[in-house]
Amino acid sequence: MRKFDYYQPKDFAEAFELLLLPDKVVMPLAGATDIIPLARDGHIQPDVVVDIKSLPGMREIKATEKGLLVGAAVRMNEIASSPLVREHATVLAEGAATVGHVQVRNRATLGGNMCTASPAGDTFPALLVLEAEVLIRGVEGERSVPVLEFFKGPRRTALHKGELVVGVLLPKLDGAQGHYTKLSRRKVADLTLVGVAALAIPSEAGYVWRLALGAVAPTPVRVPAAEQILSQGYAAAAIEQAAVAAHAACSPIDDIRSSAEYRREMVVNITKRAIGKVIEKLP
Amino acid sequence: MLHEITFTVNNDPYTIAVQSQQTLLKVLREQLGLTGTKIGCENGECGACTVLFDGEPVNSCLVLAAEADGHEIETVEGMSIGGDLHPLQKAFIEHNAVQCGFCTPGMLMSAKSLLIHNPQPNELEIREALAGNLCRCTGYVRIIEAIQDVAQNG
Repeated sequence: MRKFDYYQPKDFAEAFELLLLPDKVVMPLAGATDIIPLARDGHIQPDVVVDIKSLPGMREIKATEKGLLVGAAVRMNEIASSPLVREHATVLAEGAATVGHVQVRNRATLGGNMCTASPAGDTFPALLVLEAEVLIRGVEGERSVPVLEFFKGPRRTALHKGELVVGVLLPKLDGAQGHYTKLSRRKVADLTLVGVAALAIPSEAGYVWRLALGAVAPTPVRVPAAEQILSQGYAAAAIEQAAVAAHAACSPIDDIRSSAEYRREMVVNITKRAIGKVIEKLP
Repeated sequence: MLHEITFTVNNDPYTIAVQSQQTLLKVLREQLGLTGTKIGCENGECGACTVLFDGEPVNSCLVLAAEADGHEIETVEGMSIGGDLHPLQKAFIEHNAVQCGFCTPGMLMSAKSLLIHNPQPNELEIREALAGNLCRCTGYVRIIEAIQDVAQNG
């Protein structure tokens, strides 16, 4: 592998000094499951990698008044098994549990997954329906962006040079029930062809629904048309209409794993499956 | 750049110098001579390099050696105790779960971790735990039988 220098800063001041080193290609490193193969194959050429796992708060899962805070360097298996995440955001735990396989989930992190910004990221549809706030820290301070605005395209995010994702805030949604389900060629350890997260939040008139698709557009997408239909009632005909709306909202590509046509057709089936699973969980 | 790292491998303490870009896999094999851990895809797909990192299975090809500083690593060489094979190793032999043997060290590490977390796994749980370990010889059936045997009979 090409030579690079590895640093593990213990505080943000040191981290930002490294991240803003002039004339160097500097990359933050969290779980390293993407960076190591990319660097070995020459797709990225870092001079410096900055391990962000030891920075304060990066490994924490914490319930706050505003909602659940999940640090950027929390690993997929930690999210999948966290009682706090399972209680407040089951749909995210389900998404995290389907990333890669056991060995990858023991290293890969939520923040790393987000910054890689693969259209097929399995935690993203869950973050979308939870309307997560992405907490970003730079040398000039902190800012947050709604997760929908964080993903800009395949491998492109709203991060500016020298900024780090430090975590996500999952707003409190009392009584909400969600589900993430995906289709891949192999049941586990394969990239997602279609991922769907559905969430129902109790309201005065019943439930407000949210629906998000992954792996079938350049970024994960919400499907407002389907959400409106379901929020007026989720009888069988409404589920059919919502699935058709999801079909209309996606724009998948052909690749080695599947044709776009197949993905589009499967959006209908997987959307119905995700909605059905949420309905099973409703009281 | 060079890092001095201190970690344990199979409970033996080591303090060694590693380069920033070296993976844990290469350091285990080439600096410590522990060649039981195999180099397969080096992409996190095949699981031949699986080791336990603080007790949890990871692809050692996807971990920088520098990240292992202060941590506990277990490799297949650490499974037998005083020359006695681990029950999983014995069961793999008895059930003919080894053909070419290349995937076996990784399979054993994943299986060991599984049985620690879930001493009585069903077949689906075993298959899920081994999803990150590819075997191109056995068709997995005998590997699963070997693990079930240990779960049921110790």
